[in-house]
Amino acid sequence: MKKKLLAILLALSMTLALAACGGGGGEEPSGEAAGGDTIKIGLIGPVTGNNASFGNAMVEGARMTVAEINAAGGILGRQIELLEADDRGDATECMNAFNNMVAEGVQYIIGSATSGATAAITGMANEEGVVLISPSATADDITTEDDYVFRSCFKDSLQGDIAAAWVQQQGITKVGTIMCSADNYSSGLVNSFTAACEARGIEVAADESTATMDAQDFTNQFTSMVNAGVELVYAIYYYDAVGAFLVPQARAAGFDGIIMGADGFDGTLDYISEGTDYSVFNDVVYTNHYDATDSSPVVAEYVEAYQAEYGTQPLCFAALASDCLMMLQKAMEAAGTADDPAAVRDALADTSVTYEGVTGTFNLDESGTPVKGAAVIEFTYDESVGGVEGLGTQLVTTISADDLA
Amino acid sequence: MGVFLQTLFVGLRLGSVYALIALGYTMVYGIIRLINFAHGDFIMVGGYTLIFTVPLMTAAGLPAWLAVVIAIAVCALVGVGVELVAYRPVRRKGTGMTALITAVAMSLFLENLAQAIPAIGPNPIIASQLFAPGGFRVAGVTLDFVTIYTIAVSAAVMLLLYVFTQKTRMGRAMRCVSEDKSAAVLMGISVNRTVLTTFAVGSGLSAVAALMYVAQYPKVYTTMGSLLGLKAFVAAVAGGIGLIPGAMLGGLVIGLVESFTTSYISSSLTDAVVFLILIAVLLIKPAGILGKNVGEKV
Repeated sequence: MKKKLLAILLALSMTLALAACGGGGGEEPSGEAAGGDTIKIGLIGPVTGNNASFGNAMVEGARMTVAEINAAGGILGRQIELLEADDRGDATECMNAFNNMVAEGVQYIIGSATSGATAAITGMANEEGVVLISPSATADDITTEDDYVFRSCFKDSLQGDIAAAWVQQQGITKVGTIMCSADNYSSGLVNSFTAACEARGIEVAADESTATMDAQDFTNQFTSMVNAGVELVYAIYYYDAVGAFLVPQARAAGFDGIIMGADGFDGTLDYISEGTDYSVFNDVVYTNHYDATDSSPVVAEYVEAYQAEYGTQPLCFAALASDCLMMLQKAMEAAGTADDPAAVRDALADTSVTYEGVTGTFNLDESGTPVKGAAVIEFTYDESVGGVEGLGTQLVTTISADDLA
Repeated sequence: MGVFLQTLFVGLRLGSVYALIALGYTMVYGIIRLINFAHGDFIMVGGYTLIFTVPLMTAAGLPAWLAVVIAIAVCALVGVGVELVAYRPVRRKGTGMTALITAVAMSLFLENLAQAIPAIGPNPIIASQLFAPGGFRVAGVTLDFVTIYTIAVSAAVMLLLYVFTQKTRMGRAMRCVSEDKSAAVLMGISVNRTVLTTFAVGSGLSAVAALMYVAQYPKVYTTMGSLLGLKAFVAAVAGGIGLIPGAMLGGLVIGLVESFTTSYISSSLTDAVVFLILIAVLLIKPAGILGKNVGEKV
């Protein structure tokens, strides 16, 4: 027994040591400009790991926007220097990255992508007086506790409510939910969806769960859904589990109703096993921050620039990161300084300011969270095209916060 | 009835994979009394080999699953390499304890090495479908062909291993080394060569396990082997580590327990229940479910 204990201890210490190395190694070397002409803005996101699509989209979006701002003369006449760090979607890594950046004198940080990682640094941002804007941490309590924390995305209680509103619009009366109870994002969203359904008179007839976010088998959960006779299942997981496991297994278990997800479904189409029966992805919908096929000039211009730069369609995480920079720019200009984070914070806390971003036009609420709507998007499969190429996304509708009453 | 059948099928699906992995654990343990914690990561190696070689197979007009031949070779090489570079020198100097820690270290090393290789990287890769989809429908519930293949492959591997260890010269040498190393040397058996063969066979098995796993759960990532390996290790211990039929039984039991816990108790508690079962089994039968069959020890 002692041997085993020792082995476990050693294994743990090795893991930690490796983790620590990763945090230091993931950061870009900083430029020379400590206190010089440039404004240092940090970017923390999961560039590697299971949520890497999120982090890479953030980085690409932020780089593009920084280049645009710099080309247009910078903020208050000063160029922006973007410092990037990888947190692998992990809370400890995120804290390491945050501390490294603070040590380098960074006073403005954009990040992180997931609520789990971001929650680890919100308190620290307040203590250090660092302005933190998360592009996509949607858990409700991210911005409520700390004065220096803001975001460019909606919060989960709104996202869950919007999902429930859409369900009601479809005339669906009986739904089920599947979540990972150990994950903030998954359980937070499902709980707000459940509460919103009950308020709208929609019956939540079955609730199932998994032990982890990267569960591999959802068959039993969906069998319960079939038996409960639900018309729609609200399942909150990330794209890598959705494409490979969740949707195909749900159909194999005999569930042919609607599978509804949230912004974590963005990017699913790149994570589908080749040779799957692609028609299983019909009737899969999710709420998202924006629709990349939107024809409004702001979105169209952004998507075009992004495609010219990277050759792909921007995930919402790219657009949200760009919006974070836009918010920061506007706040710095309103404060008239980029050297005083407290003044920039005060500018961001002004709820009367309207931001016009790629992901919508919005004001921030008291806590620092945008009040805005969501796009409901569905996956489509075109039999006549066939293969992976036949898969695509399509906007179903947009629901704004005002539509919820 | 539908729920029961579906739960049973899911349990068999998971269990068949655990069984296949557990066979590798138990085989190595049976011969050199080493719990090879890196075994789960050999599955990761097998998984990535499949990702890279399946396109070659389909391009050559061969069935995708034939890529497993290359995967077996790669995994066996990695297994032999790990034995030569890490386990053997450590075993010579130290004790079973040091070997165990080396195994944990190799596991972490392989995971991090894989991340460092540009073609692999730290992000998950989704495999294409390796077998034609389809299955039997019983009372409205589908039992996938892949699950049946996996069980059949596990059973065949179990039988082959049994025959190999009982009937062949090398198998007999393995059992001798397992029983008494110095006596084996006196009988003219090359211990090093025997151990090396054990590793080659055990690691090769992980490629077969990787094939069946990826066929059912087509996501390959660098840490995929850790929890998978742990569960299979639990299966091997529950069945009676060192016993070839025990690994198969243990794997199926763990898979079924997991599945039935999900359906009938709570899906959040599956891992907790699996490990509780292990403790219960070990309290009642310290040597595992089939533990008393000392005569069958390889």
